[in-house]
Amino acid sequence: MAIGEKLWQALDERYQLAPLVEFATHKEVPQHRHSWAYYFGGLTLFFFGVQIATGILLLLYYRPTSEAAFESVQFIVTRVPFGWLVRSIHSWSANLMILAAFLHMFSVYLLGAYGKPRELTWWSGIALLGLAMGFGFSGYLLPWNELSFFATRIGTDMVSKLPLAGHWLLKLLRGGEEVTGATLTRFFGIHVAVLPMITTALLGLHLALIQRQGMHVPERLADEAKQRRPLRFVPNFVLREAVVWLLGLGVLAALAAFFPWELGSKADPFASAPAGIKPEWYFLFMFEVLKLLPAHILGIEGELVGLAGFALAGLVWVLVPVLDRGSAHGRRSRLFLVIGWLALAYLVSFTALSLMGVFQ
Amino acid sequence: MRRSLVLACLLVSAAATAASRAPQAVGAPGKRAVDTCTACHHTLAEPRLKAPAAFADADIHRLQGVTCAGCHGGDPTATDAKAAMDPKRGFVGKLARSAIPEMCGSCHSDAAFMLRYSPNIPTDQLAQYRTSRHGLALAKGDENVAVCSSCHGAHGILPPSDARSPVYPTRIVETCGACHGNTALMTRYGLKGTELADYERSVHYAALTRKNDLSAPTCNDCHGSHGATPPGVSSVSNVCGTCHVTQRERFDLSPHKDAFAALEQPACESCHSNHAITSPDDRLVGVGAGQVCGECHSAGDTGATVAAAISGELTQIHERLAAAEARVRKAERAGMLMDDAQVKIEEANQGVVLARVEIHSVDPLRVQSEAKKVLDGAGVADTLAAAAEAEIRFRRTGLFISLGVIALAMVALILKIRAMEKEKL
Repeated sequence: MAIGEKLWQALDERYQLAPLVEFATHKEVPQHRHSWAYYFGGLTLFFFGVQIATGILLLLYYRPTSEAAFESVQFIVTRVPFGWLVRSIHSWSANLMILAAFLHMFSVYLLGAYGKPRELTWWSGIALLGLAMGFGFSGYLLPWNELSFFATRIGTDMVSKLPLAGHWLLKLLRGGEEVTGATLTRFFGIHVAVLPMITTALLGLHLALIQRQGMHVPERLADEAKQRRPLRFVPNFVLREAVVWLLGLGVLAALAAFFPWELGSKADPFASAPAGIKPEWYFLFMFEVLKLLPAHILGIEGELVGLAGFALAGLVWVLVPVLDRGSAHGRRSRLFLVIGWLALAYLVSFTALSLMGVFQ
Repeated sequence: MRRSLVLACLLVSAAATAASRAPQAVGAPGKRAVDTCTACHHTLAEPRLKAPAAFADADIHRLQGVTCAGCHGGDPTATDAKAAMDPKRGFVGKLARSAIPEMCGSCHSDAAFMLRYSPNIPTDQLAQYRTSRHGLALAKGDENVAVCSSCHGAHGILPPSDARSPVYPTRIVETCGACHGNTALMTRYGLKGTELADYERSVHYAALTRKNDLSAPTCNDCHGSHGATPPGVSSVSNVCGTCHVTQRERFDLSPHKDAFAALEQPACESCHSNHAITSPDDRLVGVGAGQVCGECHSAGDTGATVAAAISGELTQIHERLAAAEARVRKAERAGMLMDDAQVKIEEANQGVVLARVEIHSVDPLRVQSEAKKVLDGAGVADTLAAAAEAEIRFRRTGLFISLGVIALAMVALILKIRAMEKEKL
């Protein structure tokens, strides 16, 4: 008997793994004209895996203090063998992960996959996107360069606009009144311990729910899916997903090698903010609108009104499985479909226009 | 009779000095002056009489307790106009132009009096003024020349540190230019009247007004403020040397020092001009057209040979440094972190400054010594840039190999999937 087979028998004897293998080999993925959308979740997972691997490597040299953070990243990209590649992949992969997560979320929304019984999958997915943006926001400060310092100052400043707990939240985030070394240490802790812990738990739940409930088939494509032979999850779907992951790896490698992530100059808390400070691209759709709002709307501070508007829109987005009652029976509301397309158009157009410098 | 004479002398003296002021004319330092003069003049319709009261509000003297009577005499506490402006109470009205320096000096030259306002306040302005071209001409009865109020203003005088003051560094040119920019007036004194226009083209004016560098020299930094006078031929290098210390030291080491003195040639001005000092250009070194050494030297003489040697060194360091900088910038554009190379480029640029300083010694060996440091720095930067280029090639090669492997793996997987799915069918 081969060693592998012996090992399998030993493990199966102890942990009863055969039912799991049985489940995986019998699991099927439906096929229809939009089944390409099933790959975005896996792609997001791939980039998350890259983040963990490269993040651990960066941890070996990174030092989370205002005195040493910038210099340690500089050391990583100049002196550590392949340090430039690891750092560049970590930065690019973070952005690609959020892009893939957005694509995954919109494909799920527009195909109406959020309805009963998948409410919890939708909510855990939204929470995971929020966590991914939290990873981005906290990680952006870690190189302690000029851009990240001032973007963090602006970003955390927005929290202070919240009524009642605003100032308290600001101090909680910053570890004081200003963005200092205390903020850096705090963000580091959040980035490498708090967020990964919560993400791992939520991701486990999200994946378990998907495995348990299977892939959603939009009602209008149900007939097509019945006519076409479904794919076996193992090995057919897994191998196709592997091709997508390889494609993601290729794009990531090309971006990291041809466009190494810039380090910029070290943050100087006493310098004045350079012109054109912007947050990461995935916050631009909010940032630009908040900037465009007048100082006061009906006597209330404009930014506060804007934040309240985004909070309300976010709440509607989260509660869509409940609000769109027909989705539980596969009959999704046309209104929510239009809302989804409008939200996508708004996100894409404002992000693109901001990157093109139209709002400056 | 003798007692009467002493009394008369005392009275004349009192009329001419601060001692003649009414006791209320000058209040406590730091306490805003209060008088009836401004209260009344504010209400007058005639602008000539109303304006001084309006200006007085921000006047440094008024803020320090000096009333109108401090300069004009009279009684600042009297509510009746006649009593306030009674000549018997020392009222002198508008001061004659020729009396202004002495009147201002009656306080500003009194060290004991001025000590009340600041422990380090200078009190030699009047003494300096008397030695100036302005003061000397005024003493001869020329009332066209500048007196204190010409530069500082009469009412609403601001401290020189106030950016609105006409004697604030960035406003000096405009203040001096009020007279010295008047060609017709200046011709009467044997001046061209173009000095201001020349200065406004200079590197000093650019530093002062565009870079807001208040240490950059303006009129009074070379000519003096109260003792304003043109620097003589022998003192030009001393004036320039107060800031350009090293250049002056190198010039003093050079054979030019004695040669210029013998020829009664000004030192710095001979090559750099005086008011229209433009940014120095290394191409000025040489005996060719437009080159300054050619003013005295001609091709083939020792001076021309030395100039050619110095010029050669300068050209070489500029070319090598520019090439290294371009290579480092190219590597940076390709995404490489070139901080180490930038440090070397910065050091080399500082070396260029030192080599330029050594031009003043007209010693090719001294220039060469500094030029070598520049070449060394540029060489290290160039080597780092070459290493960065090699790294870029390595990365790109690695990327293409990786992409090839990834593409192969993808093709293999796709073929495997196809084969699998064909089998099923």
